[in-house]
Amino acid sequence: MAIDILTVLIPGLILGIIFGIILQRGRFCMNSAFRDVILLKEYKLLKSVILAILVAMLGFAIMSFTGIITLNPKAFSWGANIVGGFIFGIGMVLAAGCASGTTYRVGEGMMGSLVALLGYGATAYFTKFGALNPMAKFLQTETRITNSDGSSLTVFGDLTPIFMLIIGIVGIGLIAFFWIFKELKAKKEENKPMLDFSELGVKIFKRGWHWAPTGIAIGILGWFAYVSSAAAGRNYPLGITGGWVGWNKFWITGDSAALGWETFLVLGVVIGAFIVSIIAKEFKLRTPKDGKKILIQFIGGVAMGFGAVTAMGCNVGNILSGFPLLSVGSLLAGVFIILGCWVMAYLMFMRKS
Amino acid sequence: MVDISDTLDCRGEVCPYPDVKSKRKAKKMNSGEILKIHVDYPLSAERIPDTMKSMGNEVLSVDKVGTSEWEIVVKIK
Repeated sequence: MAIDILTVLIPGLILGIIFGIILQRGRFCMNSAFRDVILLKEYKLLKSVILAILVAMLGFAIMSFTGIITLNPKAFSWGANIVGGFIFGIGMVLAAGCASGTTYRVGEGMMGSLVALLGYGATAYFTKFGALNPMAKFLQTETRITNSDGSSLTVFGDLTPIFMLIIGIVGIGLIAFFWIFKELKAKKEENKPMLDFSELGVKIFKRGWHWAPTGIAIGILGWFAYVSSAAAGRNYPLGITGGWVGWNKFWITGDSAALGWETFLVLGVVIGAFIVSIIAKEFKLRTPKDGKKILIQFIGGVAMGFGAVTAMGCNVGNILSGFPLLSVGSLLAGVFIILGCWVMAYLMFMRKS
Repeated sequence: MVDISDTLDCRGEVCPYPDVKSKRKAKKMNSGEILKIHVDYPLSAERIPDTMKSMGNEVLSVDKVGTSEWEIVVKIK
């Protein structure tokens, strides 16, 4: 089967490149976001993640009401969501990056992340199609709970799209009021201009982005991703794990049908991050000096691969795309990703100090 | 030019090691001493100054000294 260039390859690649640019410039990594809440009492990235989820949620609700997209929340299998999510959360601390973070850091030249990605992609494939599949399959089928018509459980049932709209609007309003206006006011009190558009080129291409534009940009990218991905036959917004599984399937079986929209998306993320890190003079091939750290990153990648496929999504599929759809399964998996992250961050970095 | 009391080289280290190491190092140092931190990880280069400030230390300078390399100089409170 030939790859459809116009609906699969080009849109996937372009959206991936944009995703990579935003991830690199915004330093958007959910592992850092969740981990540093307890480790460094640092909340900027977490604010970015929350804003991205709310912007995506509002857009998905409106696009669903206008018939542009059909909502397709992930399934609820509590055993798979809990076990997979927790293992993924542990893995991303060891790998020093979530699925999207590890992917974009490869484009920045971080060789430790490349090693993590190899472990992650390979184990995701083994879990999806190979020796580890029975375990994941068992958890997914034995603990699955669906609506009576077989559709995925969402928090508010039939009313979910309306609640998505309400939560989106109210949530963005609260963030604007409590976080964004507060920051602008503090700037005003220091007699700095509230919005400074001077040196815009330098700010976009040379310095890291502020958390708010980063979150908004990722949320909006999710809208385009949903429409584009659905047009390519994959009715779901952004995802990462499926992309790397697709590449592995193609390399192992030679079946070009495995190269779907998501495979070009992940390739685009690496390319996009590479381009902007070159422009910002932040690209450098670098590796941890300690060999043990590379091994730990590899083990982390392995845990992430197993966890993501078992939980039916990584931090992107379950949190960035799944939270906005209010899927019960995604919410449960997301909570356990965060718990796994906190437990591992505590064991690795906080116990000693 | 200020006298550097101690240097911390975090090049090649991935997040969060540079952040955690510099925080631990700064805690051990005495008041008035100057710490120079060498990092090559962009996120840490942006966040270490913030972390140092929130600890009450004074950030004297953040200089980009090469491709993806920064030197952060901090005066311990």
